[in-house]
Amino acid sequence: MITIPVAEIRQASRRYPGVVALDRVDFAVQPGEVRAILGKNGAGKSTLIRLLTGAETPDDGTVLLAGEPFREQGEGRTREAAARGLRAVYQELSLVPSMSIAENMFLGAWLRRSGMLDHARMVFEARQALARLGLTLDPSLPVSSLSPAARQMVEIARAFLGTPKLVILDEPTSSLAAAEVDQVCAAVRDVAAQGTAVLYVSHRMSEIRRLADTATVLRDGRIISTLPVAEARTEDIVQMMLGRSEQARQITPQVGGRPLLSVQGLSLPPKLQSISLDLKEGEVLGIAGLLGSGRTELIEAILGFTKPAAGIVAVDGKAIARRGYRSMIRRGFGYTPESRKEDGIIPLLGVDENTVITDFRRVDRIGVLSTSAIARATRGVVERLHVKTAATTTPIGTLSGGNQQKVVIGRWIHARSRILLLDEPTRGVDVEAKNQIYDIIRGLAREGRAILFVSSEIEELDQVCDRVLVLRDGQIAEEHTAPDIDAERLLAACIG
Amino acid sequence: MTASVITTPIPRTLSGRLAGHVNELGLIGIIVLLYAIFGFISPGFLSANNQVNILRDGSAIGIAAWAQTLVIVAGEIDISVGPMVAFISVLMAFALKWHMPLAVSLCGGLVLGALLGSVAGVLRGIFNVPSFVATLGLWSALRGLALFMTNALPVSFDDNDTLDWIGDNVFGIPVSAVVMIILFAIFVFVSRKTALGRSVYAVGGNASAARLCGINVTGIRILVFTLSGLMAAVTAIMLLARLGTGNAGAASGLEFDVIAGVVVGGTSLTGGRGSMLGTLLGVLAITVIGDGLVLYGINSFVQDVVRGVIIVAAVLLNVAAARRSGRAGR
Repeated sequence: MITIPVAEIRQASRRYPGVVALDRVDFAVQPGEVRAILGKNGAGKSTLIRLLTGAETPDDGTVLLAGEPFREQGEGRTREAAARGLRAVYQELSLVPSMSIAENMFLGAWLRRSGMLDHARMVFEARQALARLGLTLDPSLPVSSLSPAARQMVEIARAFLGTPKLVILDEPTSSLAAAEVDQVCAAVRDVAAQGTAVLYVSHRMSEIRRLADTATVLRDGRIISTLPVAEARTEDIVQMMLGRSEQARQITPQVGGRPLLSVQGLSLPPKLQSISLDLKEGEVLGIAGLLGSGRTELIEAILGFTKPAAGIVAVDGKAIARRGYRSMIRRGFGYTPESRKEDGIIPLLGVDENTVITDFRRVDRIGVLSTSAIARATRGVVERLHVKTAATTTPIGTLSGGNQQKVVIGRWIHARSRILLLDEPTRGVDVEAKNQIYDIIRGLAREGRAILFVSSEIEELDQVCDRVLVLRDGQIAEEHTAPDIDAERLLAACIG
Repeated sequence: MTASVITTPIPRTLSGRLAGHVNELGLIGIIVLLYAIFGFISPGFLSANNQVNILRDGSAIGIAAWAQTLVIVAGEIDISVGPMVAFISVLMAFALKWHMPLAVSLCGGLVLGALLGSVAGVLRGIFNVPSFVATLGLWSALRGLALFMTNALPVSFDDNDTLDWIGDNVFGIPVSAVVMIILFAIFVFVSRKTALGRSVYAVGGNASAARLCGINVTGIRILVFTLSGLMAAVTAIMLLARLGTGNAGAASGLEFDVIAGVVVGGTSLTGGRGSMLGTLLGVLAITVIGDGLVLYGINSFVQDVVRGVIIVAAVLLNVAAARRSGRAGR
């Protein structure tokens, strides 16, 4: 007997300006199958998912749900996919905080009785759906009263409502603690036993081994392999994810150098457990870790955004008890945030103002900003970092992502910061700009600055770092030192 | 490696630069057009006497509008202007009535204005009350308080030569207009040439990024409201000098003209974009429209309708221009 796949992609390609996101991909998933999707950033995972949910239309090829192609085109596709039993849970939450859990679960498809909302039945069914995940939350509570982890659980419960044909979970456990992960795994196995297919995007091998039947590995827009999880070794999967990588540059590690920043026993339950590290003058220290491993929390705790439960942060050997972000900047810190658009650039202002904003005192003469000093300071940064801009006054919002990122780094050069914390500095940046950013970072280290380089793109760490710490589940799991930093071993350590 | 990567300006930025001033150029065109129309249809519109009137009326809006521009550029709004002006003028009138020295009365009024403004600033900056709500509260409370204190009757006081001088003209120009122009110069300077002014643009453009760059976002927010309160107090002095009495019902609807002037001048209500020159032209346009319609003898209720339509049309044009020039960075 031939079963019809719940979802199938035939010879589909999707191209964006300058990139081929998916290249003649064939993909099928059977009823009741749990399939892990693996691949590094930019491998094509999101595009693959977006083809299935109808958020994107392939340039060539077809997408079939239960053996039938989409009838709708454009905007109507996502609604058609949902009507045909496809559910997706994304990393970014899509709940309405002011509404109750029950209302959120039936968002847009509220249960009605003779024209009125049937709250009693929604609460009843929501409670059952939550119980399936082992949750005893009151469905009439507003979502705003829940922790991020509980919200994620509510999203997952919503996806499992009714009898979906296919559920797509995109890194569902990145905000969850171990016990909750167990519940999610159990629920996934449960719905799979009832015939629902599950696509599970994650890099945590321990979870994948527990719940997935098969795994599909993507790289550079192609499916490298689809294989049974039970037979696959982690090293093989890592090899497939990374492909052959040529060691482009050799880092000779910095020895000596006094520590500019030391962290001892920093804890922030449940995200960070007793982190200790030293960051020396002239050193680039990489932090490798998956989404949810505690990368961002570590930076935030160092910079004083959050108050850790325990631990010491010392600059120049002196412990700093009361840390505020602005006082840390005055001590010589510089920080480039992960989301450049939301937290990095001020799009309407020029490259010049986006540069000198970190320290106006260096471009002002007795309280008056000097246009020539601003232009000179900006030109210094623009030339040193090879920022491609028509003029120093061009609004930064019109620049490419890579050039924006260079300015965001450059503003801390302007401020003469000694300790730079760079959170995913190459995200959304093209290959050429990436290499330039690596050079910039090495150059900054040569001047004696200390750099903490946080990245989820494992294979860039050996390009820039003297030393890499692997963060896993809020702990430092391993330490690798150049020239013995190997992307495959790092990735294996990250996915555990 | 040493080659400069700054290329010479290409047409794209040239048009971008023009687009940056399309709004100002357009407003000048509109004002010229208004002068032509009203000069033709409204008797006495072009007379020197009426130009002085326009200046005086303009200064009542303009002084508060300079500070409002910074408030709106910072991504906030202050709707408490009218009642703030009335309340402060009433208190200053009381002080004068009780024979306090003029300098003390006026300075006290300025300090009070700054303090009241900073209340709105603290509510927004520290307690995260939306500025619309914070200043709406002030709007109602100050108007009510002023009416309560005066029983809605004018507060008169002895003649004062200095105050009379402030209400009069020098070399044919109203003193209030001179004050407005001096303050305009100061606000242009602050907004363009000081770290503080640029920080206001940064906070309005992306508060989160500005904070991460080390800018004191809370401080900036408090400061723009403090300035707005201070300018309301200056306006109150001009009003007191002109009317010769403190009047709790005065400056009714002033916040409408002030915000309209700023917005017609091209300042974006979402923050981060706007200019003092734009506001100057916007205030002039609003004043000319009001003056011209009065001289033409249109029903005063219809005047409100015409003003409303013109303001919405101006903002529509502004939004379209912003989208065209693509400076939103999306």
